[in-house]
Amino acid sequence: MNDATLVRKNLFRKRLRAVLLMISILIAFLIYGMLGAMQNAFSMGTEGAAQDRLVTVNRINFTVALPYAYWGRIQQVEGVRTVAPASWFGGYYQEPQNFVQSFAVDPESYIEAYPELVFQEDQRLAFIEGRTCAAVGQALATQYGWTVGERIPLMSNIWQQQDGSQAWELDICAIFDDADGTYPTNYLMLHYEYFNESLLFGRDSFHWIAITTEDTSQNDRISREIDELFANSPAETSTTTEAAFNAAFMEQFGNIGLILTWVIGAAFATILMIVGTTMVMAVNERTREIAVLKTLGFTAPRIFRMVLWEALLLSFIGGLIGLGLAALAAQGASAALAGFLPSFGLTWTNALTAIAFMVALGLITGILPAWNAMRVRISEALGKV
Amino acid sequence: MLKQTTAVTLLNLRSIPQRWGMSLTTVLSIALVVGVLLGFMAMASGFRATVDGAGSDDVAIMLRGGAMAEMNSNISRDEVRLLEVAPGIAASPEGEPLISSELYVVADGIRRASQTPANLALRGLGLHGPDMRPQFDLVEGRMFEPGSAELVVGESVQREFEGFALGDSVRLGNNNWTVVGVFSTGGSVFDSEIWTELGVVQNLYQRGSSVQTVRARLTSPDAIEALREYVENEPRLNLEVLSERAYFARSAGGTTNLIMFLGWPLAIAMAIGALAGAWNAMYASVDARTRELATLRAIGFGGFPAFIAAMVEAIVLAFFGGLVGAVATWILFDGVSASTLGSGFTQIVFAFAVTPDAVVQGVILAMIVGFLGGFVPAMRAARIPLLAVHAD
Amino acid sequence: MNATSPLYELKDLSKRYTRGKETVTIFDALDMTINTGDFIAIMGPSGSGKTTLLNLLGGIDRPSSGEVLFEGQRIDNLSQGKLAKWRAANAGFIFQFYNLMPTLTAAQNVELPLLLTSLSGKARKDRVKTALEIVGMGERARHRPGQLSGGQQQRVAIARAIVADPKVLLADEPTGDLDRTTADEILETLQLLNAEMGKTIIMVTHDPAAASHAKRELHLNKGRFEEKGKA
Repeated sequence: MNDATLVRKNLFRKRLRAVLLMISILIAFLIYGMLGAMQNAFSMGTEGAAQDRLVTVNRINFTVALPYAYWGRIQQVEGVRTVAPASWFGGYYQEPQNFVQSFAVDPESYIEAYPELVFQEDQRLAFIEGRTCAAVGQALATQYGWTVGERIPLMSNIWQQQDGSQAWELDICAIFDDADGTYPTNYLMLHYEYFNESLLFGRDSFHWIAITTEDTSQNDRISREIDELFANSPAETSTTTEAAFNAAFMEQFGNIGLILTWVIGAAFATILMIVGTTMVMAVNERTREIAVLKTLGFTAPRIFRMVLWEALLLSFIGGLIGLGLAALAAQGASAALAGFLPSFGLTWTNALTAIAFMVALGLITGILPAWNAMRVRISEALGKV
Repeated sequence: MLKQTTAVTLLNLRSIPQRWGMSLTTVLSIALVVGVLLGFMAMASGFRATVDGAGSDDVAIMLRGGAMAEMNSNISRDEVRLLEVAPGIAASPEGEPLISSELYVVADGIRRASQTPANLALRGLGLHGPDMRPQFDLVEGRMFEPGSAELVVGESVQREFEGFALGDSVRLGNNNWTVVGVFSTGGSVFDSEIWTELGVVQNLYQRGSSVQTVRARLTSPDAIEALREYVENEPRLNLEVLSERAYFARSAGGTTNLIMFLGWPLAIAMAIGALAGAWNAMYASVDARTRELATLRAIGFGGFPAFIAAMVEAIVLAFFGGLVGAVATWILFDGVSASTLGSGFTQIVFAFAVTPDAVVQGVILAMIVGFLGGFVPAMRAARIPLLAVHAD
Repeated sequence: MNATSPLYELKDLSKRYTRGKETVTIFDALDMTINTGDFIAIMGPSGSGKTTLLNLLGGIDRPSSGEVLFEGQRIDNLSQGKLAKWRAANAGFIFQFYNLMPTLTAAQNVELPLLLTSLSGKARKDRVKTALEIVGMGERARHRPGQLSGGQQQRVAIARAIVADPKVLLADEPTGDLDRTTADEILETLQLLNAEMGKTIIMVTHDPAAASHAKRELHLNKGRFEEKGKA
């Protein structure tokens, strides 16, 4: 036996009470974990390589197209390494509700610009070679159960072919994944040439152009030069880092971060109150025992620490279980949501922040009862003058 | 029995102030649960009210088949001509068919709250455009002149975005425009738009003579069938015909569902947390009164009154919690203006709406928490052994 | 140290309380000496200050004025932290209501004071076993207080008081909650500890029968001692 035994025994003195408190704490951390995972999904693509890559869109708005010729002209700008143009395809599979995020790209330049995409070498070559080929992200392939070699008709809700059809027949030649799980793989790419040649309207134009540079420290200058190149033309451009572009796009949904913060705040305010008052009550109930410990020679600081550890232990048991459940649930949810919110999952940063919250929760709820315990006066608590 | 129960219940409720810490915690934690639920519901119903309010049953909207959203649709001049002679469409006093060909493009606005750019819909409409919005009202200024770069802006745009005061010169895309009027459509989704004449948009955005949608005022809601039949039997038309209400209900569904799918599970999870808290508080309450309850038993009271008294305490506390949460949400959020990206890739401005229906649901949730949280402790109160009279 | 060297010396000891606006004097200018190996029963009517005196001897309370010396060292002016250490090293307490930790087993209760020493786990176990055997509770080591009778609980409490081998045992109405037969057994145990192990025992009681087990009886009345010598 040691002090830890006493802490544990005190915590579980009323087993039901301890379990109920743990459930409330567990729930708060479960909510924290799930919302954290959701926030990760939303802020996706604003980190890593996206900070170095540039993206050029029409200055009016990213939904307005750019002329085909810009591809070649941007290539001429000094310091530009690769230029990868792309168009929205607006795809759906079988039913209009089955939205498939899809772009028409120039395969070779696109794969070069996005080195974080991982291909099997033979599949990569097949995708680049085959005019009717499509490359499908792992998450999307899982969602629809698509495999390499399959032929699918992909409908577009934007485009029409000259023959009036809106379906493009695609061969799935490659399934790609991302290098480290931080990039979405919930989309499909098809050949721009194959897409463009049969279009009824809107031919020879792109919606955005992804650019990588020789030296990222030159990015500011290169962005400026690209935009100057097309100034005063009918299609002026706006060039920013991909991260800034993505962040601005997410921003349009409203302040999701703020809403999530409010909810997490409410959840934690709830457990702070519940755990805080219960701890005070629990310690008050055993004033007499604390007085006995003091009589035996336990010093006030030692008693203070024991109560504080009790609160911390409570916070950690509830918190770690909640966080663990959140991680499991996030894993489950990420499969279900793959097409909608890519890479829904917890990061180490989330986990460490959660642990910091557990420490804070333990300290805040423990400090008052610990202080009360420390100040118990033996002669009063033992009930005699 | 009733007398006993009333007596024990009153005795119990009167002693709440002695346990104010735990009682207050119960009330506040339940209030937070209800607050979170109502916050999400207010967001969802505000959004739905805005989008649904736009759709009327006697306006038909026609899009290219499979387009789903206006943004993706494309209708040629020839198709519009065919629609002008379609059946079921009401006529103006001058005898013209009441239809409006429309085309919208996306323009950047600056959101006041965050100072960040956001997409706005710049809609070009035909002469009869306003007739398609029954609640249309010009609040300030005048309508745009056909053929000139003049704008009328929705009230919500003016409220949420910078630089759209009457008389302001605004740069959208590559062109300068003048704001000549402000309109309202009674808080519907169109209040989040900027309007000008169709020809101006076609011209400045190089769209030739094509449009995205055709709206038509129907002679009656049932006339849509005649129109739909006409479109389906005309081989030169590949269009989808929907009532405007059906169209907006379809496009609002996703966002509203997303908000509700997030809101309810969160509220339920938090309710379980608060349930544990309430349970705990009720146990403490019963514990604190063990001796009192045993004494009552000793002098002849039954166990049932003790059970009812504890349940009443739990439900009263929960009810207050629900009420506090609902009132706080209403004060904090009702009418708060927000905007998000709608299905057309443009901003939809809406106001949080705390509805009576949502308040009732919130208070019911609170009382369920109180009931479940109080049940087991109340059972315990009913079973306190007589010997506890001597409890320390 | 021989059997007659002074363990405690109380000099000019006073204790007053303020209750509201009133000042209550418990005792005033008390002088007393307690020798090592003594077994003293302090008697007196309620409110005479018996327990207060015991608290002063045990370093739980401080006098309003005067000095408490233990083995020639003042303890009344020690800091709270030093007093706690002093108690752990020198005093064992026995209470009327036993005051065992309900969540711990008998053995764990007895082990508590040893947590304040540097003894190894093994040494602690041995000591706990010995202490429980001395009070005749060796068989009940794994029982919780709730599973023991009052007399058994008090035996465990005595084991807890002696396990760290303190110089003095301070007992406050140790038999106040027990029936006559059980009380006599407990008192015989205390006598044994005094006689065989040389523990100095100071016991507060209002029960003359209990007091008769002690070597000396002191009557505290209106702040004064009256000694009743024994034959």
